[in-house]
Amino acid sequence: MNGLPIDPALAWGSLPALFDGLKVTVILTALPLLLGLALAFPICFARMSSRRWLALLAEAFVTFFRGAPLLILLYLVYYGLGQIEALREGPFWILFGSPFGCAIVALSLNHAAYMVEVLRGSLLAVPHGIVEASEALGITRRNIFIWVKMPLAIRYGLKAYQNEVVSFIKGTAIVSVVTITDLTAVANSIFEQTYDPFTPILCAAAFYWALVNLIRIGFGLWGRWLNRHNAEGVAADVLVPGRAAALRRTSDLGQVTP
Amino acid sequence: MTMQAPVPAAAGEPGRLAITISGLVKHYGSHRALGGIDLEVRRGERIVICGPSGSGKSTLIRCINALERHDGGSIVVNGIRLTADEGTVQDIRQEVGMVFQHFNLFPHLTAIENCMLAPQLNRGLTKARAEKLAMHYLERVHLTDQARKYPSRLSGGQQQRVAIARALCMEPRILLFDEPTSALDPEMVNEVLGVMEELAASGVTMLCVTHEMGFARRVADRCVFMDHGEIVESGDAASFFEAPESQRLRDFLAQILR
Repeated sequence: MNGLPIDPALAWGSLPALFDGLKVTVILTALPLLLGLALAFPICFARMSSRRWLALLAEAFVTFFRGAPLLILLYLVYYGLGQIEALREGPFWILFGSPFGCAIVALSLNHAAYMVEVLRGSLLAVPHGIVEASEALGITRRNIFIWVKMPLAIRYGLKAYQNEVVSFIKGTAIVSVVTITDLTAVANSIFEQTYDPFTPILCAAAFYWALVNLIRIGFGLWGRWLNRHNAEGVAADVLVPGRAAALRRTSDLGQVTP
Repeated sequence: MTMQAPVPAAAGEPGRLAITISGLVKHYGSHRALGGIDLEVRRGERIVICGPSGSGKSTLIRCINALERHDGGSIVVNGIRLTADEGTVQDIRQEVGMVFQHFNLFPHLTAIENCMLAPQLNRGLTKARAEKLAMHYLERVHLTDQARKYPSRLSGGQQQRVAIARALCMEPRILLFDEPTSALDPEMVNEVLGVMEELAASGVTMLCVTHEMGFARRVADRCVFMDHGEIVESGDAASFFEAPESQRLRDFLAQILR
């Protein structure tokens, strides 16, 4: 050994396997993010409904799936549901019979529960006056939601969403307990084969770090684009040179107020 | 002259009436905000409503376009009786534009996009036609040079003029103003009042809640004084200011004209 905790040759040799694990991690992140978000919308509407029973039902969903540890949830879906004979013989067994399907279901439910609250908080943050102004213009409730409330809610909720996505990615590491070889599982198996704890685990950590930061940069750009309307976000003009020029032209004509 | 004097010219000519309010009652819990308001507004009439805070003047005009739902009495706008029915409410909102104290512009849209949204959504205008329409009305509020700016880059007076243009883009026959200059810095009040005076000269029906008594004198066909959810006195601007009949109006005028 060369004094470094990392064995460069082993690291280099492990790259293909780690990339395969990364692929699984990305899929196990992307699919539940999409499914969970799609599920979160109707549950959020139910949670905000004036019908009490509907709101209570949605609240119960959130309380349960946010309260249940992801690991326990995964065990319940993977081992627990398999005990139900009707399910084993039904069409859904294609989904619940595979560890991958179970992981997707558990992760989606967990993500949906968190997203209901992120979504609800963001929608509640939209100023009432702006909604009233839309109503006074005769815009329908549906269009107000699509064109006024959601665009503003996305801006208010972006940071909370980013936090949720980042911690979610790291949370996917638990899928190895149901035999899925994601990034963490690959690193662990290399460790078990070589008895070198540092090289594979630190390499996996670097992969996670890169993935999380890629997402952070993506969110940063998205947020900057979304908040181009804020006066302090002058840098956003640089992204759209035409607009910056147009602004300079118009501000020559009119008085500019900070 | 006291107690909502009926407008003689309008009697027996319902086609000439823009708004007919009779026996309007509104409660907030046990608090009576409006206690039986009767008011008839002719087409093209310009009415200024004033009164101490909490007198129900904002509530009154907010009932007209159903931003507040009334508990009793009736409101007829351009022949349409306001009911709880969603379609009827939409019909009335197409006839009535509103300008708010706090502008309530869409922060994520530029000035011109603020003006284009409702015509595009409600009337199915193409982007090009909506843009032409928006530019026309931005010109009427003298803001063509600020059209591509976001609200956060505009002064309060400019924002309120955009809000007026946004309401005009739906080409309403009636305009409601809810203290349009109360949130403005003093030096910006006149640019907004100037635009409102130009509008008044164009023949649109206007109901304006304001404490700008100079504006009332110059523009109003009729001034209405409210207190404790009732119309205490109403009359033409000259007699309203020069010869108030009720003690409450005399006290009020003494307070604000001091």
